[in-house]
Amino acid sequence: MASKGQILTLFGDFLKIGCFTFGGGWSIVAQMHSLYVEKRHTITGEELLDLASVAKSLPGVMITNVAMLYGHRAAGILGGFACVIGLAIPPMLILSAITFGYSMIESNPWVMAAMSGIRAAIVPIIISAAVNMIHGAFRFPPCYLIALLTFSLYLFWGVSCVWLVLIGVAAGLLISEFYERRGKGNAVH
Amino acid sequence: MLFIKLFLSFIKIGFTSFGGISMIPLITDEMLSNGWMTTEEINDIVAIAEMTPGPLGLNCATYAGLKTAGFAGAVVANLGALMPAFTLCVAAAIFFEKFKKSHRMQQILSGVRPAAIGMVAGVIVSLSLSNYFADSSLDLKGVVIGAAMLPLLLKFKVSVPKVIGLSAALGLLLYGIL
Repeated sequence: MASKGQILTLFGDFLKIGCFTFGGGWSIVAQMHSLYVEKRHTITGEELLDLASVAKSLPGVMITNVAMLYGHRAAGILGGFACVIGLAIPPMLILSAITFGYSMIESNPWVMAAMSGIRAAIVPIIISAAVNMIHGAFRFPPCYLIALLTFSLYLFWGVSCVWLVLIGVAAGLLISEFYERRGKGNAVH
Repeated sequence: MLFIKLFLSFIKIGFTSFGGISMIPLITDEMLSNGWMTTEEINDIVAIAEMTPGPLGLNCATYAGLKTAGFAGAVVANLGALMPAFTLCVAAAIFFEKFKKSHRMQQILSGVRPAAIGMVAGVIVSLSLSNYFADSSLDLKGVVIGAAMLPLLLKFKVSVPKVIGLSAALGLLLYGIL
């Protein structure tokens, strides 16, 4: 059984990590690496990568999934909850403060001009993130069709994203089963 | 009532998104269909979420919660977005060794990833229409800023916070001074 002190330590660790989680999931994995692999030797680098890859394959926010997996490993379910909540608190407080500050100045003409500039950059930012997603996303040729299908259903028919994700789930299972069965005779893995 | 709706919305978003930017279409969907936000505010979410620490998904939850129901709303929305971590991920942690070798999740992802790319592409088109064709005329200044930022991001790998800073400066210049 994990001690109270252990759980509090985990909570404190992730509170700290939560203050510096810029730039997506891998930045926190890097922070965890330097703290737990290099400094405290509580987990090996390889095991941490295993946690990260499982976290990535689960729905939700990747880094809170990593936090749950690590916390559970270190101190059971309570440890997992301590890590996730610790990680989520700092960004929530910081962003709340910023939003509050922003709401007081948003009608200022200079702020409005700057925000118009930023809004113009959002589409390129999403495009560049999407380009990074493409790598390795199309495992089999029909996967391109899935993307085309969800794109048109989303844009032209306004189909809810939940359905589109479910279509992806079903299509993923069907297509991989098909290709794996077909390739069984001559597959090299 | 609003809190329950917010919570359920973010549970839905949490369970059907797989990391980062793939959350944007789902959030756009939920925010617009509930009338909680305008397209302009969706842009602000992305900008503010990218500029402050924290994962995009949780920052979107915080911002959306704040806008619709204040700080308590932010807490509720965050809890909703964390539900996959509190449920599925706990199960994955308990059965970690089995789960690590499981092949099913990879099969599912091979369909979900392209589906997410399709949805994100849809968001790109619809956001482009609303951002650059406001009031049914082409916003030339916006197009100039957008077109300048794209190669910086894609080709010169300038970081997102820097791009946001730069576009804010360009915005001040083009919309404020000129």
